[in-house]
Amino acid sequence: MSLASVASGPGLPEYVTRRPGGFYRSTNPSTKLAVAALEVVAAFVVPGWPGPLLVLGAVLATALAARRLRGLAVVALAASPIVGSILLINLFLLPGASDPIARLGPFAPTWSGLWFGLQTAARLFAFSAAIALVYLTTAVDDLLADLARRGLGRRVIFVIGAAVQTVPRTIERAGEIVDAQRARGMDTEGQFWQRARGVVPLAAPVVFGALTEVEERTMALEARAFSAPGRQTLLRIPADGALDRVLRWGAVLALVALVGLRISGRLA
Amino acid sequence: MSGLERRSDHPAPAASAGANADSGSSGSFSAGNRSTRAGSTQSDPSIARSSVPSVPSSSGRSAAPSIELEGVSFSYPDGTCALENINLRIDPGELVAIVGQNGSGKSTLTRHLNGLLRPTTGRVLLDGRDVRGLHVARLAERVGLAFQNPDRQLFAGRVSAEVAFGPRNLGLRGAELDALVRAALDAVGLSAEAASNPYDLGFSRRKLLSLASVLAMRTPILVLDEPTTGQDARGAARVRAVVAAASEEGRTVIAISHDMRFVAECFRRVVVMRAGRVVLDGTPDVVFGEATWPELRAAYLESPFAALAGARLGLGATPSESSFVAALGQRARNG
Amino acid sequence: MAIELSGVRYRYAGASKAALRSIDLRLEPGCVLGVVGANESGKTTLCLVAGGFAPGVVGGRLEGSARIDGVETTSIPTHALAQHCGLLFQNAATQLSNTTATVFEEVGFGPCNLGLAVPDVIERVWWALKAVGIEDLAPRDPARLSGGQGQLVALASVLALRPPYLILDEPTSELDPAGTALVGDALVRVAAETGAGIVLVEHKTEVLARIADEVIVLAEGSVAIAGPAAAVLRDPILAELGVEPPARVALERDVRAAGLDWPAALAEALA
Repeated sequence: MSLASVASGPGLPEYVTRRPGGFYRSTNPSTKLAVAALEVVAAFVVPGWPGPLLVLGAVLATALAARRLRGLAVVALAASPIVGSILLINLFLLPGASDPIARLGPFAPTWSGLWFGLQTAARLFAFSAAIALVYLTTAVDDLLADLARRGLGRRVIFVIGAAVQTVPRTIERAGEIVDAQRARGMDTEGQFWQRARGVVPLAAPVVFGALTEVEERTMALEARAFSAPGRQTLLRIPADGALDRVLRWGAVLALVALVGLRISGRLA
Repeated sequence: MSGLERRSDHPAPAASAGANADSGSSGSFSAGNRSTRAGSTQSDPSIARSSVPSVPSSSGRSAAPSIELEGVSFSYPDGTCALENINLRIDPGELVAIVGQNGSGKSTLTRHLNGLLRPTTGRVLLDGRDVRGLHVARLAERVGLAFQNPDRQLFAGRVSAEVAFGPRNLGLRGAELDALVRAALDAVGLSAEAASNPYDLGFSRRKLLSLASVLAMRTPILVLDEPTTGQDARGAARVRAVVAAASEEGRTVIAISHDMRFVAECFRRVVVMRAGRVVLDGTPDVVFGEATWPELRAAYLESPFAALAGARLGLGATPSESSFVAALGQRARNG
Repeated sequence: MAIELSGVRYRYAGASKAALRSIDLRLEPGCVLGVVGANESGKTTLCLVAGGFAPGVVGGRLEGSARIDGVETTSIPTHALAQHCGLLFQNAATQLSNTTATVFEEVGFGPCNLGLAVPDVIERVWWALKAVGIEDLAPRDPARLSGGQGQLVALASVLALRPPYLILDEPTSELDPAGTALVGDALVRVAAETGAGIVLVEHKTEVLARIADEVIVLAEGSVAIAGPAAAVLRDPILAELGVEPPARVALERDVRAAGLDWPAALAEALA
């Protein structure tokens, strides 16, 4: 009947079948993707303030309930340089604006500029927050497992998984390489110009290592029947309850509707 | 620190590349005219310590320093405790092997010797002085560490450039640098490959290359991480020759190894680790002798075959092949 | 029913000389064949050719015949190779799939790729984990394993495919003596329980002395000597070929070289 019984097949250990708990964290990954897509589109398509503000509100409320507010704060901090520059650009350089707040020499910040700038800033925050929320409430493995269940090819899944793993692995390997070169007298704790000389001894082994790895990994995958035809068996199947499906389809429909309304000009 | 005097084994070696110290004391590794001081350890005072008078050193800068871990504990950021209250002192010119199961803390310990890891508690002392403030690059002048995986460090297009990297970082240039590189390549048998690309060499020789690049730095203390792993017979023989030659020059050689035969054959002191602690510390005779087999087994290790064979025949302690043959010969002569 | 190489000559794409020059070998089911040789003597290439990965995945040119159960490896489609022959490569770190969250799923990667039913996958995973003795690693994150643990997991992952033949290229290189003994025991069990034929490339001739039925010695791409393990590992030519004989053999050689007799007590006790 429901996917729940299929997923927890006889004897699969609980650490494979265990679903994440917590508000929104237990929601199906594809649902979260659909909701994020809706939020991103709404932030830009709905004119004026309602768009970004509603989206921001929804994202913040969800994050609060899912206890991921701190993560969002980090994202906001990371986005602030870009958002700040866009705000400034709009504030000072909005074309056609004619209501200056003050005159600071050659610069004239305008009220319309401020208004528009703040709105754009809000849109950008909403955009990044919506995407960040998915990242903060979803484990990569669960996302990949869900995409696999929906039929995404195993090669694509592998590429995504490997790409995600690459960063921490490369960092770790780079750490070992740094250690090895430091042990040979390369100074990483001294002045900057000394450290700059260390780029090639650090970068080269990383690159060589990555390249030689590609062939080995290809062979290793083939040795595990990676390219066998037919459907892959799935061990990890994220939950997909009725609510998840309603939410997902609702989000998709709303997204389509919004885009349709915008294109047809019905949105003011 | 113990009350034992610090004296190096040999007169200080000349600074130029390849110079051999006092040739009078070269020769076999079996017990004899070399100091086999087991060093101090407070983890198990019952381990027998043999102490033989050593040749007084001339106090030159180039004499190998002593290196000591004093009450060192180390935990990784995620909380795993890798070293627990290690008290280990290695005197100049010693030949020490560190053995133990994977995860017993061997690598962690050696990384404290050149500053790549800093103790969570305790101190690391070089010639009696805390190395806390010294950068790794400075410590690299005194302590050279050859890593287990050579591919983590190879970056140059030519073997000679790779070997030159270390000494160049230490400020050497020109003819002196060239001489060092040539000597190091000679020592590992890669002279013919000086112009080759490191990745054209097989794994065995890449490993010898990384050994050469550390040898070229002429550090008085040499630390080798699994030097014989992955080596074929010729490569392993090379490694043994390098260890012997380095020791003859008066350098301190410390190696991590799983290869008990290599350890028994080439080293004069064995430190056994288990779960972050030193559980045995003494000469191969003692550590691989029958009395300590239960401890070794508890550390998931076994004595080399020569020791087992010697025990079976009642020949006494025969950890290495040469000592077994010697003991057997002795028994044959005694009838 | 065997892996058979006859007159095999193989050259990597773009290489100037052949990596394998003339190989004849036969591996029967249930048999453990040890392969030794100096580094760069062709051991890894032999593994690739015997498993069908060369030229299949790697390219290059193969002359002569390499057959698994009578079928030329060149006519086996790449994706089916794994089902004929399990291949374990030297570098354990690159053999993890990086798409799984737990060791359990990692070991199940192969069976899942084959589309086996969930109960079958579970059964195979536990069997493989037990065979290698790493059941307690099952919940762990594969990315966070030590080098030795990774090697054991890679071995279990290949075992989970239950191939009729296993080719292992230095599977104990990162393991300590205890781990090495464990793998040796596991391989003996697997050969006995599943009847798999095993090719084992090793520097540690001790392992081969313990578990191999036959041993071949490679030198510069050819088979220098082949025969029963005990005989080959005692052959004095091993040292010339760059192979370290087992400790017992080396000790006996040293004793005899010193003009002494090898004590009978030892010969019996350690036979």
